[in-house]
Amino acid sequence: MKEKTVRIGFLGVAHMHSVSYASNLLRMGGVEVVGMWDRSPSLAADWSRRVSIRRYDDAEQLLDAGLDAVVVCSENALHRPLVELAAGRVGAILCEKPIATTLADAQAILDRCAATGVRLQIAFPVRFAPSIVELKRRLDAGELGEIFAVSCTNHGSMPGGWFVDPELAGGGAVIDHTVHVIDLLRWFWRVEVTEVYAEVGYSLLHPGLGIDDAGLLSFMLSNGVYGSLDTSWSRPPSYPVWGDVKIEVIGERGVMYVDALHQYITVASNATGKTQWVSYGSDIDRGLMIDFVEMVRSDRAPSITGEDGLAALAVALAAYESAHSGQPVTLHR
Amino acid sequence: MQKVGIIGTGSIANVHLDSWRRMPGVELVGYYDLVPEAAARAAQRYGGRSFASLGALLAAVDVVDVCTPAATHKEIVLAAAAAGKAIICEKPLARHLADAREMVEACQRNDVMLFPAQVVRFFPMYRRVKERIDAGAIGRPAVYRSARCGAFPRPGAKFSAGHYADFAQSGGVALDVGVHDIDFARWCCGEIERVFARGLTFANRPYQDHAQIMLRFTSGAIGYIEASWAHPRGVFRTRVEVAGDGGLIEWDSLDRPPLMAELYDEASGLQRIASSPTAPEDEPYYAELAHFIDVIEGRAQPIVTAHDGLEAVRAALAAIESMRTGQSVALKDFGE
Repeated sequence: MKEKTVRIGFLGVAHMHSVSYASNLLRMGGVEVVGMWDRSPSLAADWSRRVSIRRYDDAEQLLDAGLDAVVVCSENALHRPLVELAAGRVGAILCEKPIATTLADAQAILDRCAATGVRLQIAFPVRFAPSIVELKRRLDAGELGEIFAVSCTNHGSMPGGWFVDPELAGGGAVIDHTVHVIDLLRWFWRVEVTEVYAEVGYSLLHPGLGIDDAGLLSFMLSNGVYGSLDTSWSRPPSYPVWGDVKIEVIGERGVMYVDALHQYITVASNATGKTQWVSYGSDIDRGLMIDFVEMVRSDRAPSITGEDGLAALAVALAAYESAHSGQPVTLHR
Repeated sequence: MQKVGIIGTGSIANVHLDSWRRMPGVELVGYYDLVPEAAARAAQRYGGRSFASLGALLAAVDVVDVCTPAATHKEIVLAAAAAGKAIICEKPLARHLADAREMVEACQRNDVMLFPAQVVRFFPMYRRVKERIDAGAIGRPAVYRSARCGAFPRPGAKFSAGHYADFAQSGGVALDVGVHDIDFARWCCGEIERVFARGLTFANRPYQDHAQIMLRFTSGAIGYIEASWAHPRGVFRTRVEVAGDGGLIEWDSLDRPPLMAELYDEASGLQRIASSPTAPEDEPYYAELAHFIDVIEGRAQPIVTAHDGLEAVRAALAAIESMRTGQSVALKDFGE
C-alpha cells in the first residue's frame, strides 16, 4: 500500500538550517514540499530559487494550499506569531530552536498548540548525531556507573545578520548555543536544570557587535550532576570549521568524550586561502526530518516537545539573569 | 657556583633532582627531610649529603629548593629567608593565604628571592601560547579555557592518605592542581576579578576530587578551568584554548605526538607507545630551575614572581570558598 504523501510548507526561512531541512525533505519519498513564505521578499526569492521550492507571497495562501505540517524557521522572535498562524490549520509544526525569545512567548506557543491539537516538535537535530545516540546508549547501559559531572562546549562562529539583533534573536551566543546541549543533557537523564551561574561577554570577541558573543555556564542538574557549557562564538573566520558540540562525561568508572561532529577530512585549498575541516559525518538534519515526517504520518507524539524547547530556553534566559546579578539563579518549574 | 639544598625528598624532589644534577654551575650539596632515611636515600642516589636539621642545611647552601607539601612551606621559607637564602618553592606557594602573605613579606624584608615553581609557564606549548598572545596573534584575549585531568595521586599510599586526601593539608584538587591553570590564565589574561566553582571537594568521596572553575578577569575576559582527580587511572590529559577578538589558539594533549610506536607480540597483543620528547634543556622542570638560577645570577628577569604565586593561591582558595558557599567570590574582598 502506498503511503499518503505528506504535504509540508515553510513559514519563515531566515534561519540557515531551513536550507538543509528543505533539501532533506526534497530527497525523501512520500513528501511534497508544497511551498514557502518569508516576510522578506528578497530572502524568499533567493531561497525559493536556491532549493527550487514554490514561493508564496502570502502566508495565508500557503496555509490554504492544504498542508499536513509546516516548518517554522524564521527569526526567533517571529516563531510565536507564525506558530499561532499555522496552529489549527496543520496537524504538526516543526519549530526551529530556540522556541522563542521569552518564556511568555514560549508558553503562548505551547498553549496555542494544545488548544488547537497541533503536534509541536522543536528542532534539536543534535539528538540525531550518531555519536550522541551512542553516548546516550552507553549512558543508559550504565557504563560509567554513577555520573559526577559534564564539561560541554557548543562553540560557533559569529553568525551575523539577525542573529546579532537583540529584538529578533532575543540574545546572542548564549541563547543561540545554550539550548542544544541543555536539551541533550535533559534527554540523557530525564532531568531538569535546577541552578545556573553564567559569565557572559558582550562584544568581547567582536568589538562593537552590541550583543553577547561569549558565554560560560555552570549548572546543576536535578540528578545531582553538575556541569559547564561554553556557548561562545569563539571560532574566528580563519578557523578550519564553524564550531563544535563536545560533551565530556565523568563518572565513577571513567570518562567519555564526545566531539559530536568531528568526522572531518582536512582540505587545504589555495582557493579559500586556508585549511578547512570538511565533514563526512551523517547529516543530523536528515535524522531530524525523517523523525518529524514519521511523526506527521503517524499518531505518535513528537520526540522533542514544546516543553523541551521551553525548558532549554529557560536555562539560557536564567544564564543572562545570572550574568546580570553575578550570582547563581535557581530555576523553578 | 650555586650550592643547592633540597628540602623534602618526595616525588617532586626527584623530578627536580633529575634536572639539578645535570645543570652546569650548580652544586647539589644535600637534603633535609622530616624522614631522615628519605634524605639518606636521596644522597645515595643523587650524591651530596643528608642533613640532620633544616638549620644545618641552611648553613651549608646558597639556594634552597622547597619540595615539601604546601602546608609546611611557610615555616621552611621563613627560616630560609631569615638565613638570607634564595628560595624556589613548589606550588601551591602556601596552603593558606595568610601564610603566603607572611612568606612574601619575610622574603621582601630579608631581600631574598622567593620564586614560586609555577612550572606550567615552562611547558613549551604553554610558553608558545603566551608568546603568540603577546605577539598579537589573537588580538585581545576574551575566552580562556584550560583543563588538567588525571586520577587521584597514588590512592591508598600512606603519603597520599595523609596529604592529597586530607583537605586540611592539600586543599584538594582545586588548590593542588587548579593553581597551575589559574596562574597560567592570569599570565595570559591578567588579574582575576571573581570566581565561581562547583566540584566534588566537599562531596565526601575518598580518592576522587574534581573542580570546574569559572573566572571573570578585570579586563572583562571570561575563563573556565577544569581540574580533576576523578579521571581513570593512567589518564593525564591537559588542554588549553584562548580565544581573542582576532583569533584563537588551542592545544590538547590528545593531539598527535611526533613519535608513535605500534608493537605486536603474541603475549600482550598490540602495544601503542606515544612520545613527545624535547631537548634536555627544554624539559619544563629543567627550564624552570635553570631560569631560577639565571634570575638569581642576574642574567634574566623572573617570568613569575612571588606575588603571582600568592595571587594564584588566592584565586584557588576563593574557588574552594565558592564551592562551599554556592556563591561567586570577588577576589578583592577575599581574605580566606
